[in-house]
Amino acid sequence: MKPATKALYVLCIFFALSMLGCSSDGPKVSAEINHSASLAGELVEALPRNPLQWKVITSEINQTDSTMSTMYGNDVAVECARTHSQHDYPAGAVLSLVTWTQWEDPRWFGARIPANVKSVEFVAIRTGPDGRPWYSYEKYEGTPLKKLSNQEGLNPNERAADLLSQRAAVMP
Amino acid sequence: MQRSSIAFFWITAFLSVVFVAIQFVRPELDNPPVTADLQAPPQVKQILRTSCYNCHSNETRLSWFDEPVPAYWMVARDVREAREHLNFSKIGKLPAGQQRAALFESVSQIELGAMPLPAYKRVHPESEITPEQLAVLKKYLSLATPSEATGAPEASAADLQYEKWMQTGSSTPEVAAAPNGIAFMPDYKNWRAISSTERFDNHTMREILGNDVAVKAIAENHINPWPDGTSFAKVAWYQQPDDKGVVRTGAFFQVEFMVRDSKKYAGTLGWGWARWRGADLQPYGKDKNFTSECVGCHNPLRNTNYVFTEPIRGQQ
Repeated sequence: MKPATKALYVLCIFFALSMLGCSSDGPKVSAEINHSASLAGELVEALPRNPLQWKVITSEINQTDSTMSTMYGNDVAVECARTHSQHDYPAGAVLSLVTWTQWEDPRWFGARIPANVKSVEFVAIRTGPDGRPWYSYEKYEGTPLKKLSNQEGLNPNERAADLLSQRAAVMP
Repeated sequence: MQRSSIAFFWITAFLSVVFVAIQFVRPELDNPPVTADLQAPPQVKQILRTSCYNCHSNETRLSWFDEPVPAYWMVARDVREAREHLNFSKIGKLPAGQQRAALFESVSQIELGAMPLPAYKRVHPESEITPEQLAVLKKYLSLATPSEATGAPEASAADLQYEKWMQTGSSTPEVAAAPNGIAFMPDYKNWRAISSTERFDNHTMREILGNDVAVKAIAENHINPWPDGTSFAKVAWYQQPDDKGVVRTGAFFQVEFMVRDSKKYAGTLGWGWARWRGADLQPYGKDKNFTSECVGCHNPLRNTNYVFTEPIRGQQ
């Protein structure tokens, strides 16, 4: 190597060192799907419908149980929930509440995000044999999700009534 | 003398002259008076002083190796930017909620390894925040956060907002575009949910919604980078506990958007940013430079294409 070239190298290295501020390390997170909280694959094979394919009606947090839930609805339910403050759902409406356990968000101190699917509930309204509304309630739990309870009748059970009474979250 | 030695002499001489000459080009970097210093327990203050104050306060102390140009140019630029974003010497002037938000964001930036700047840490190893110190900061913030939001609308205000929304229904009011030209997307409410968050730092709760492109990208695991055309909406409500202790969505707080276009938005991490606040959907930001706030906060997440949300799958 010629001395002139060598000198240039030395100067370049010196310059590079004084520019340390330009290089940087990678952050400590990577781009991943939240698999444990997903409603996909074997876990949801027993579900009649995947509520994640529906629109959001509202959400809730149970700080005692450390769970968080999102309520979804099919188009009939969403249309009603967003325009009728009585939300007297017509026949054909189906609501679903998905509940997750929580963990701390590794990307934001101060946030909790869904960890594992805990349960999936459905409330469906049909027209009964005598023309009156007919309510059915189903609850799925476990891995994979299995039907735990299934009740139906002319009146919604207590849990179904509670879900039906929730008003839609304001989305202007 | 050989020709190459002569060349060596002149090149060295020339570069030395240049090096000396540029030393006189020194942007000003002074320490203005400390007007409203952060109020925190000594243990917390000590950590911030050691690791953050050199750039994020009016008490900057440069090391000898920060002084020569061009290192000095970078240090001066970094300190100026740092103070603009967060200045512990003036933070006391902000409302309590904003001060807390700044501290929570700081802890997230530390945890993500974005702060102190890795390059700064290499030459200032004493600024590294240990896991124990991080735990001290987190504990302090967790305890210092009131159990209820300050300034959150009353339940009656949330009721009024809901009743009004019921009446206007799906007819969207005229909404002004964001200062960077991004138009409001009223259809966001019909996108699919890809995750949700409970925010105990500011007592809000959020749904993150994604458009069809986003949902397809999740199904195909194409999320780094997200494809052009991806849009996210993050909808935030105030938390409103009911009489059974279940936290419900209270008044609508804001909706924020990220719109992926790697070319059009190349200057802002490949994403277009926008935010509308309040049920009357007022665009956020004085001018188009408001996006520096978005970029500053999302910048540490370059490994996830600048997206905070870890998406849930199942929408397709």
